Amino acid sequence: MIEIKGFLETSFSDWRGKICSVLFLPRCNFRCPYCHNHSLVFHPEQYATFSLEDILARLRSLRDWIDGVCLTGGEPTLHADLPLLVRKIKRHGFSVKLDTNGSNPAMLEELIEGGETDFISMDVKAPLEPFRYSRSTGLPVNLKPILDSIEILKKGKVEYEFRMTVVPGLHGEEDIRTLGGRLRVGQRFILQNFNPENPLDPSLRNIFPYDPKALKKIEKEVQEMM
Amino acid sequence: MASVIEMKGNQQELFKHEIETTDMALFVRTSDEAMLGWDRQRIVDALMRETYVDFDTAKEVAREVEDLIATSKIKMITSPLIRELVDTKLVERGLEQARKMHTRLGMPLYDVDQLILHPNKENANVPHGPEATNLTLAERIKKEYALLTVFSQEIADAHMRGDIHLHDLGFIDRPYCSGQSLEYIKRFGLSLPNSIAMAKPAKHPEVLLAHMVKFAAALQSHFAGAIGWDSINLFFAPYLVGMSDQEMEQLAQMMIFEFSQQAVARGGQAIFTDLNLYWEIPKHFENVPAIGPGGEFTGKTYSDYLEESQRFAKALFDVYQEGDGSGRPFFFPKPLVHITEKFFQTPGHTDFLYHICDVASEKGNTYFVFDRGETAKISECCRLSFKLDQTDLEDAKHPWKMRYCALQNVTLNLPRIAYLAKGDDAKLFSKTAEFIEMAVKAHLEKKLFIEKLLSLGEKGPLALLAMERDGSPYLRMGRASFLVGMVGLNELVQIHTGQEMHQSKQAFKFGLKVIAHMKLLVDRFSQRYGMRFVLEQTPAESTAYRFAKLDLKFHSPKSGHIVKGDISKGEVYYTNSTYLNNSAVLNPIERVRQEGLFHPLIEAGALTHIWLGEARPSKSSLANFVVKTFQLTQNDQIAFSPEFTACNRCHRTSRGLRSSCAYCGAEDVEGITRITGYFTKLSSWNKGKLGELRDRYRNQAFFAQKNEGMAVEAG
Repeated sequence: MIEIKGFLETSFSDWRGKICSVLFLPRCNFRCPYCHNHSLVFHPEQYATFSLEDILARLRSLRDWIDGVCLTGGEPTLHADLPLLVRKIKRHGFSVKLDTNGSNPAMLEELIEGGETDFISMDVKAPLEPFRYSRSTGLPVNLKPILDSIEILKKGKVEYEFRMTVVPGLHGEEDIRTLGGRLRVGQRFILQNFNPENPLDPSLRNIFPYDPKALKKIEKEVQEMM
Repeated sequence: MASVIEMKGNQQELFKHEIETTDMALFVRTSDEAMLGWDRQRIVDALMRETYVDFDTAKEVAREVEDLIATSKIKMITSPLIRELVDTKLVERGLEQARKMHTRLGMPLYDVDQLILHPNKENANVPHGPEATNLTLAERIKKEYALLTVFSQEIADAHMRGDIHLHDLGFIDRPYCSGQSLEYIKRFGLSLPNSIAMAKPAKHPEVLLAHMVKFAAALQSHFAGAIGWDSINLFFAPYLVGMSDQEMEQLAQMMIFEFSQQAVARGGQAIFTDLNLYWEIPKHFENVPAIGPGGEFTGKTYSDYLEESQRFAKALFDVYQEGDGSGRPFFFPKPLVHITEKFFQTPGHTDFLYHICDVASEKGNTYFVFDRGETAKISECCRLSFKLDQTDLEDAKHPWKMRYCALQNVTLNLPRIAYLAKGDDAKLFSKTAEFIEMAVKAHLEKKLFIEKLLSLGEKGPLALLAMERDGSPYLRMGRASFLVGMVGLNELVQIHTGQEMHQSKQAFKFGLKVIAHMKLLVDRFSQRYGMRFVLEQTPAESTAYRFAKLDLKFHSPKSGHIVKGDISKGEVYYTNSTYLNNSAVLNPIERVRQEGLFHPLIEAGALTHIWLGEARPSKSSLANFVVKTFQLTQNDQIAFSPEFTACNRCHRTSRGLRSSCAYCGAEDVEGITRITGYFTKLSSWNKGKLGELRDRYRNQAFFAQKNEGMAVEAG
């Protein structure tokens, strides 16, 4: 069974409009230099494993309040038994949101077809070109699965959004527009500001994030692209 | 209090009472010349005037002091020195009462030097500057005065020991805080006692605002604490008919900037202002005739002004969302939005709720005040609220009558009670009763003193509060509240049961039991004296620190294990009021739910803080949480507190507390977050609060928590 390495009982920021709990799953197949959960990727053994039973018991006591559970990581779709975990949570009456980097379209399809997830949030790391994508993810990346995942989500069988973390130096304003123009999903394209606190690549600590107001403006602009 | 040498000019007139303060100051001599003017008789005069000693004793004392000075070859004689010498002689004779009456209030040179050079950290809302130092100097003397003459020795000693804390002693000649309606100045205009010009009721919204600001400043100089305004968007509404969006926004901006930049009012402080806001027309104002421009009744009722009232509320929040010129949150005025049953029945409430939640997430300003069922209240200060009872609702028909005040706030040191009880339940509860009785006594003493000042009417020092524009004095003593606060319930429970309140169900329940007992006691005293004694969650900005320090002194070594914070840095504190441990890994739901169980017992207002830290929650998720808090808990009031770093170089503001600016890297930055009820700069915080800040759980630690993260369920 998947080891659950982190449990945030209440979050106001992981699922818009909902109060959700967040489960953190270990390991990742990307090495994004701006990743701030990297110890979860490299050293999951440092952390105690939460038992699913305890978590579910806890969720039951918060039932009136918690609208759903967000599964994040690392990259949750790396775990072959993710659908099983999703089902268990669903069976307890909680909606499930999945955060993914889109590298496992087959599993996304399975989850969507099975009606198991209620919301999928996919990170898009850069304009959809091999070189740019590899630079943003820290590894040579095959774009095919990513593009497949995007298409699967855009079918609209499940609620979804695309999220992009914007890092000065890695992404210019033009890149955001390019990606927005390519996705054309309106308000489902969300920009996130880079947080220099504890990135995987320490040299990024000296990068100053974009002015939030400027970012909001670009976001508004790309959200008008349908 | 005249000193001996200062009497020089009046030596012929023995026992003369009315000496103008300015004259005395002119006669202070500290050089050799004053020695030339030495006259022993002046000592006798002072003793006869100020104390009850007999003439012969006074003459003897004077002679002895004269001998002492003559033989001591002192080069410089000052009036304070003579007074001290006289006091020594009184002490030698065992005349303690006379010594007390003859004592001099003031400060050592060193302290004044420190004060002028270093900021005051007792109240983070006081900036550092000449006005502020004046305030502090005056406060010091009034504090001594209060402890010597207003309060009995028993109460003064209890304060000094730290059994109880008498708040705002430096403002002994003022009541604590005030909540009122704008209708008073709308109807009567601005005519303050002692003021040279009288203004008729305002005809234009800008003028009304000017009146409001001036009146608030006048009130602030008559009250120690907060000045709250009821339903401000509604009462402005009749002035806003036909205004364009742009004009409306301009007015909202003026209001917020006026109150946030009034750093000249008292001691260079911003006026501690609270704006109570409603999306709906509060039930008790529905059929009330509206007062409009010129103080005239408009012929309509307030129900007819829903649109203007809502537009103004929206405009105010637009301004809060923008923040000040460099994007920082406004510290004052604080917006308190009342969430009521009717709120949810009023069209547009969802959008408005999103709007104010957006501000809560971005800037933190919004307070959510929950009025369930038929409850109605005016909220202010850090959490204080005045619940409106039947007579108050009757007053609501003439809203200018709605003026409420709390006369004083006395806080109990709950951990002290537990140290003294030594684990014995019966003793714990009887000590609690003793402490509450002391608080009640302190209130009676202050009430007597304030009544004395008020009895001088419009010629006295509290003329503003004695003015009778509507047939009764501005301050309605019969409606005053007397606050009994508490600090460190969590530590009381910890000392007594061995567990903190978040650690077990039993511990939590014991905490509830203590507060229920306190509520019972204050109710009983209310009946006995026909006064309104109510429990309040003391903001305890400095009290939590003071009590912890005093207990480290008096109840060591036990207290060393109990106080929170970092003893090695001196950053110690007790957990505020009935709060759960600040560092406990409790999710916001548990905090709101569990802390909320105390709220119905704490009539004068309670609040749960949700520290957000750096997180920027989605507005719709916050709205979701607010609605559930209203529906599922008994919680009285919540506020979300983000943290900010403001850069002094690039003047931009970023999220979270950082050592350098996130945008330009400059290290000249200033951290900003909520201290108790209001936002302020960290550099002005006292050590105890800094200790608490380090401990605050910001809903972030979720790795490797094992089972510690599993909070107990209460109730």
